[in-house]
Amino acid sequence: MKFGLFHELATPRPFTPEVEAKVVHNALEQVRVADEVGFDTVWAVEHHFLEGYSHSSAPEVFLTACATQTERIRIGHGAVVCVREMNHPIRVAERAAMLDIISNGRLEFGTARSSTWTELGGFEADPDRTKQDWDEYVRAIPGMWTQERFSWKGNCFSMPERAVLPKPLQQPHPPMWVTVTSPGTELDAADRGLGCLGVSTGGVADQERRTKEYHRRIQLCDPIGQVNDRVATLNFMYCHEDLKTAANRGMSFLGLFGLLNSHLLFTREAYPTTAYQSLGGLSAPPSSKSGGNPGAEYGVPEGVCIGDPPAIIEAIKRWESVGVDQINFLVNACETLPQEQVLESLRFFAREVMPAFQEDAA
Amino acid sequence: MLVGTDDPQRLAVGAPEMRALDTEALELPGVVFLQALFEIESGAMCEMLPPALHPTLPPVAGIVAYDVPESPWGAFRIAQLRVQCRSGLRPRALLVAAVVDVPEVGAALAQRFGFRVAAGEVRLERAYDETRIEVATGGADALAGSLRGPMRIGESDTQFVSCMHPAQTPRGYRLVQVDTRHTVHRVERARFEVEAFDGAAWGEARIQPTLGLPGVVGLADLTLDPIRFLCRPDVMAFEGSESVDP
Repeated sequence: MKFGLFHELATPRPFTPEVEAKVVHNALEQVRVADEVGFDTVWAVEHHFLEGYSHSSAPEVFLTACATQTERIRIGHGAVVCVREMNHPIRVAERAAMLDIISNGRLEFGTARSSTWTELGGFEADPDRTKQDWDEYVRAIPGMWTQERFSWKGNCFSMPERAVLPKPLQQPHPPMWVTVTSPGTELDAADRGLGCLGVSTGGVADQERRTKEYHRRIQLCDPIGQVNDRVATLNFMYCHEDLKTAANRGMSFLGLFGLLNSHLLFTREAYPTTAYQSLGGLSAPPSSKSGGNPGAEYGVPEGVCIGDPPAIIEAIKRWESVGVDQINFLVNACETLPQEQVLESLRFFAREVMPAFQEDAA
Repeated sequence: MLVGTDDPQRLAVGAPEMRALDTEALELPGVVFLQALFEIESGAMCEMLPPALHPTLPPVAGIVAYDVPESPWGAFRIAQLRVQCRSGLRPRALLVAAVVDVPEVGAALAQRFGFRVAAGEVRLERAYDETRIEVATGGADALAGSLRGPMRIGESDTQFVSCMHPAQTPRGYRLVQVDTRHTVHRVERARFEVEAFDGAAWGEARIQPTLGLPGVVGLADLTLDPIRFLCRPDVMAFEGSESVDP
């Protein structure tokens, strides 16, 4: 089991330059500590116009800072929106390759198509064709990275033969992922040999069903590049020796993050189309009432990593048992928790929880 | 985060009176439905909502209209203006007003489901190339618009949200959650073009369309379900939601 940080850069109002700078610099400090104490990956999302919920509109810049301020943690560019109105595929490949070089070959490359009208509408993107765009991007980009000169004639973009430079450091190319929100995207991931980057916090049973099918199907895949068969999920984490204290603190930022998410106008609401079947973060959340959930009496939902070390270890083992390879954690939102509490939680988690999942722990 | 900041009592003025909450379902087969959303000016997005609700980003309002061929009161047409919003984590709409062309129907819908109703004219004209909607009430043209360039989409591709109706109920002044079920037989998506809109005629002059979104027109069997939930308008839904069942 691997552990990551997942940064949305959720920002409290008012959105003054000082407040936005504090969020970014606190996040960078969390990444430095995570690097020191043994977390495996830091991910930064790409979102636009999502007031409060996510101010991470230029993740490649944030992640470049992460890369230069750390030694070993992997750099998760996750996920780049692969939609023609938002990012040209050549620029996506160029930026990612440069980030791989600057990080000394630590890049994890995530792909997505955006799930909100807030974003797609802002760029006047056509929701009917985002899946088509994404599919073309993920087939083209490995070629840009691996071929000396590359040409393409497609539906979304075309280019005459050119050398797309620089090339990434990792060979043949950085591991590729796709974010999974809509039902069935895990199958798209499997068919293309892409890692499954969960970005919504669903229940364990749903994850088990999706992971089982993913692992069965990826054995038969026609890969677009080097196969990445890992499954990552998103979770919230606050770790404290006292379960009640952990629940009080952790649930405070989890609850706020959920409310900020509810402001978003999901594409399915605004743009009737077959291309978007999920209400994203407005879908039913997991229950806190499941049996065997130590944090249930404090309202911690099933499978959420908020609690004392035994409670968190139990939750992680449930995810591990259904085939999850990596859990990425949101560790704060809108500076709800003071930075020192976030850093304490990261260090405590590394000391008390991580050893239970080291490869030789069994 | 953003929350509604309107004085909850503002919406109580003229709110319909529901004498009972144990409403039976109302089944309306074979209705032509139209749902068209539009982005609106963001300046008043919080001021238009009571504290129980919070806005979407961007703020969005919508027209929902039905041409009903058959009901306990005969045929009628209704057009509603709603503001899309959230109640807790749930997608909802807040009913601003409805215009009904048969007064008897308006009175029944107000009493059974808390519709704030004004009498008026609702025209819904379907053609192969466009559907026109025109709504007039109180001597004003409340809406004129068209959905052009229809393209068939899947029966499950449209999202319908439950609507919160400010009403006087046996438990006091509440937001009444009205759940609708659409068994869709055919639906087309089309460009929504607003030709004329008068927010004041609907009772909310602060609603100003800025961008029409794709709308839908279709045929469905419509059910208004029995009332299940109420919400106090002055506090967030987590605190103020009430089940109708004792």
